[in-house]
Amino acid sequence: MAGAAWVFAEVAPDGPHPAALELLTHARSFDEAPAAIALGPGAIAAATELGAYGAATVYASDDPVFAEHPGRPAAHVLAGLIEAEPPEVVLFAQTYDSRDVAGRLQGRIGSSLMGNATSIRDPRHARAEIFGGTKLVDVELAGPAPTLILLRPKSIAAEPTGGTARVVPVEADVPDDVRGARIVERNEEAASGPRLEEAKVVLAGGRGLGGPEAFAILDELANEIGGAAVGASRAAVDAGWVPYSYQIGQTGKTVKPEVYLAAGISGALQHIVGMKGAKRIVAINKDADAPLLAMADLGVVGDLFQVLPALTEEIRRRKGS
Amino acid sequence: MNVVVCAKLVPTGTPTLGPDHLVVRSGVDAALDPGDEYGLELALQLTEQHGGDVRVVSMGPDEAGQAVQRALAMGASRGVLVSDPSLRGADALVTARVLAAAIATAPFDLVVAGVESTDGYTGTVPVTVAEILGIASVTAVRRLEPSDAGARIERMTERGYDVYECPLPAVVTVTAGAVEPRYPSLKGIMQAKQKPVDRPSLHDLGLSDTTATQTVTAVTDAPTKAGGEIVQGDDAVGRIVDLLAEAKVI
Amino acid sequence: MSALALAVVLTVAVTLFWRRAHARLEVLRSARPSSRSDQPGARVRRELSHVLGQRKLFQKAAPGVMHAFIFWGFLVLLPTIVEAMLAAIDRDWTLPYLGHVAWFAFLQDLFASLVVVGVAIAFAIRKIQRPDRFRGSHMEEADQILLTILGIVSTLLLWNASRIALGIAGHPAAAPVADALSGLFGGGRGTEVAERVLVWSHLLLVLGFLTYLPRSKHLHIITAAPNVYLAKNHPLGYLEPLRIDLEAADDDVRLGASVATDLSRKQVLDLFSCTECGRCQEVCPAWNTGKALSPKLLIMDLRDQVANEAPLITAGASGVVELQPLVPNAVADQVVWDCVTCGACVRECPVDIEHVDTIIDLRRNLVMAESRFPREAEAMLRGVETSQNPWSQPASARTDWTASVESIRVLQPGDPPPEVLFWVGCAGAFDERAQKTTRSIARLLAAADIDFAILGPRERCTGDPARRMGHEYLFQMLAEANVETLNGAGVTKIVASCAHCFNTLANEYPDYGGRYEVVHHTELLSTLVAEGRLRPDPAGERGSVTYHDACYLGRHNGRYDAPRDVLRAAGAAAVEMPRHGERSFCCGAGGARMWMEETEGTRINDTRFAEAEATGADTVATACPYCFVMLDDAAKAKGSAVRVADVATLLAESTLAEPGR
Repeated sequence: MAGAAWVFAEVAPDGPHPAALELLTHARSFDEAPAAIALGPGAIAAATELGAYGAATVYASDDPVFAEHPGRPAAHVLAGLIEAEPPEVVLFAQTYDSRDVAGRLQGRIGSSLMGNATSIRDPRHARAEIFGGTKLVDVELAGPAPTLILLRPKSIAAEPTGGTARVVPVEADVPDDVRGARIVERNEEAASGPRLEEAKVVLAGGRGLGGPEAFAILDELANEIGGAAVGASRAAVDAGWVPYSYQIGQTGKTVKPEVYLAAGISGALQHIVGMKGAKRIVAINKDADAPLLAMADLGVVGDLFQVLPALTEEIRRRKGS
Repeated sequence: MNVVVCAKLVPTGTPTLGPDHLVVRSGVDAALDPGDEYGLELALQLTEQHGGDVRVVSMGPDEAGQAVQRALAMGASRGVLVSDPSLRGADALVTARVLAAAIATAPFDLVVAGVESTDGYTGTVPVTVAEILGIASVTAVRRLEPSDAGARIERMTERGYDVYECPLPAVVTVTAGAVEPRYPSLKGIMQAKQKPVDRPSLHDLGLSDTTATQTVTAVTDAPTKAGGEIVQGDDAVGRIVDLLAEAKVI
Repeated sequence: MSALALAVVLTVAVTLFWRRAHARLEVLRSARPSSRSDQPGARVRRELSHVLGQRKLFQKAAPGVMHAFIFWGFLVLLPTIVEAMLAAIDRDWTLPYLGHVAWFAFLQDLFASLVVVGVAIAFAIRKIQRPDRFRGSHMEEADQILLTILGIVSTLLLWNASRIALGIAGHPAAAPVADALSGLFGGGRGTEVAERVLVWSHLLLVLGFLTYLPRSKHLHIITAAPNVYLAKNHPLGYLEPLRIDLEAADDDVRLGASVATDLSRKQVLDLFSCTECGRCQEVCPAWNTGKALSPKLLIMDLRDQVANEAPLITAGASGVVELQPLVPNAVADQVVWDCVTCGACVRECPVDIEHVDTIIDLRRNLVMAESRFPREAEAMLRGVETSQNPWSQPASARTDWTASVESIRVLQPGDPPPEVLFWVGCAGAFDERAQKTTRSIARLLAAADIDFAILGPRERCTGDPARRMGHEYLFQMLAEANVETLNGAGVTKIVASCAHCFNTLANEYPDYGGRYEVVHHTELLSTLVAEGRLRPDPAGERGSVTYHDACYLGRHNGRYDAPRDVLRAAGAAAVEMPRHGERSFCCGAGGARMWMEETEGTRINDTRFAEAEATGADTVATACPYCFVMLDDAAKAKGSAVRVADVATLLAESTLAEPGR
């Protein structure tokens, strides 16, 4: 097991998680031949793509135990692999699932763990963004090898190498007492998506939308972005265009998304209170004096009925290419 | 069902970093982390429905006692506060070891925490605690009910939710919006002062090594997005897409 | 024989009366003591004006006349009860002195007739006009009372008439009505019987009425006078403090009104004084926009529960009593929260019931003891608690508005105090619409060369929203902290730009050791204009303006003229809304309702804005940021071209070369 970097790749029957490919690209900035650990149904098949993005070796197990029980079996097996031959660093994606594995692993092997990294220099030096992206912190990690570093998805563009990985099958020796919780049911709520309070992207409509029908434009944009939720200002709720559960503001919900995009909302104080924690604010309004435009990171003076569909189209175009 | 809730005191305004690159926690307005309130509310509802009591555990400077008081005011029955100067700047591992030791000072069926703290966002401490205690864990929980197997848990996913059967004891982290945290009454605040709060020392907990394994070597301002800018016309759509990409949401 | 009969009847009546009245008295005695003994001179003056002069009753013309006749008649005719009793024993007996003078015979005749006229007017109002304020009142009980009153004075008149017919009346010519009625009687044996029948009927009606009194709403004839005496001397906007000491507190500390025994004596007396007249209901903004709250029904429902629990209350005086919580048993939760604390009800009430104080006490219990309140308001309470402002803004942002105004002095610790401290308030500092007002005031004060300063980040919320919500403890903490800051800075005079801040600083902070000369910005500006220190140019194109009286400035504190003077000086052509001045209709934000959602009926602010629009004015002028935001929201929702602006901004536009924004 040569190489300093291991990448914990989330896999599923339909392929590796896109973040895994990004992690390989991160790893390759200081290790020419990183290894990937893929645990769960679809792991062995995923080795092809993992190899194509730079993994020299893929340690894989298709055992269903990893899909049936979150976190614990993967951490157990990973700990075993590390014990046999410790790497310098294990990279994880900052996702709920990977976090579970990384956290458990830290408890087991006593390594240093760093989260929210956006770039990595070497196994013991990485950089993170804090305080809403306004400050960059450079962190030095001490403690035993390997260090555990969690990297934000989409912090780098995954670069294919066209390589092939050597697949090493892994024994999924997971005793009963480290299996933990078991999944019994999966539910996909295709339509609703994430809740307002949890969504990474919030699209909010206000008086400027003119009526309930215009919210369909926001729904379409939300679908195109993925992982976005739709909310509203008080004016839209008062007018009866959307239910109260959409209301963002002092007397409604408080949201802290990565991106808050407001269309047709002027920005009264009681509304701002509900979204000022957003990391980035985009406001679209045809009134150049709307307070929210001044407050936004990006203010667009324009007709939302033109900007929003155009935006949806552009995102679709960029994703396609 | 005896439940332990992890509580953290966090600054209420935008946190600032001191000269030692650590978050300034003294002398600033601070409150119980809103994320922890969801966990606390879930815990209170469980014990109200199924019996048992709620213990709150916190690690932090002296002021962290405020977080404990708030939790007691909302209905927790006792508190444990671990406060030692050597813990300043403690990283995730040290925090998890301290919390695990504090939790283990009394029997429990469930440990509840928020998904991630509002001033740190790492979100791994709860599962590390679970590993140290050798128990199961489920994160991003939006619903929990006791069942024959222990607990039936709904876990949020990007596309909906999954249902788990989880043996107890276990650690769970609760998502924002899963429950409505109650507003403590003044009566609750008054009664909180009478509730017992243990203050074990690190020695009492059997912990000695508190050295952090991480140091912040430099803090710089991120390249500013020029405050805010206003655009109009054809540029606009492209600029929005760029922002979304920069935020790594597309 | 007759004496014996009278003695028996009297004893029975008085005993029954006393037993029933005693039950009511016991409830009063078990209530929490009120301390309403300050300024007896003012209290007596109010007694003369409200009770004797019937001043509040005359706020409505016809009902005022109706009641005045009946009330004054009641007073004047009191001696006739004794007269009748004497005559019942012996036909020739009468009152010493009064029984012999012509002028008393005349007064008796006149006032008895006026009472009849009064009753007739009452029936006309109730049966023909049928005003909506009676919805929910017990109409049959009222009818019975009116008929009884009619019976009492009719029997009196007829009795006098019969005595004239019998030739035994002292001054028949002095009693023209009785004299005219005497024609009904022959004068013979039949009339002698009739005379006896009439005097006894009269007495039985009076004494029967007496026994009926304690259990009916007519008890007000006994309770109203003391209730008026005990009314607040403070301006209407003042709330009595409820001191909370967390250290000393134990489980039994009272945190507002939970059960009947938590009410104060004044509050219980309020309940017993209500006549169900509905004048309060008629003006209530909540009731008028389709909400469940009617101040009249609230008082009646509380009264009914207290009356029902009276036996429990008096029995429990020596032990633990299980009383039902007032909310939700007597009054639904939503009713308690519907109130905007505008005080229109208190202003109308002829017997000086203080509905708002009781509602706040109910809220105190709901918030502080039970944590049961509309969830939307929680963010405001958390903000006030953690960041000392309802919108959780950082304290440092309190000076953001100064960016576009020249050299605003921020008072630092240790600085000498300014002549006037400009209390900006949270809305004035953080709300972008209210900031316009703040800047206008600052520019005007600077133009007038006033030495003023602001506290900036050291200013905290006055606590008004928390207090009106019922979170008295949060208010107390803020009041104590603010007073410490102000006193420490040596502040003596304050100008406030928000009507709520003004009310709290002027009327409520003295209870916490803060005594300052507090003026509202419209008052200060008016003075500056009058003194010539500001010279507005009235010739500008101002258009017509209608001024919306803020509840906390107008009705709560009696300030109506200064804003109007300022507008006139600014050259505005004033047009008044039908409900203006003391009768102003609330904007809907008071009582912490700014932070609660209206879910029933029509919106209060929309209703008020419609009234403003109907005047045809181009501009609606306000004097409080709450009113400004509410009416501006209403204007926007309607897409109206009417402009909403603060008085200060309008003055700035006609005074300053660069009024700015």
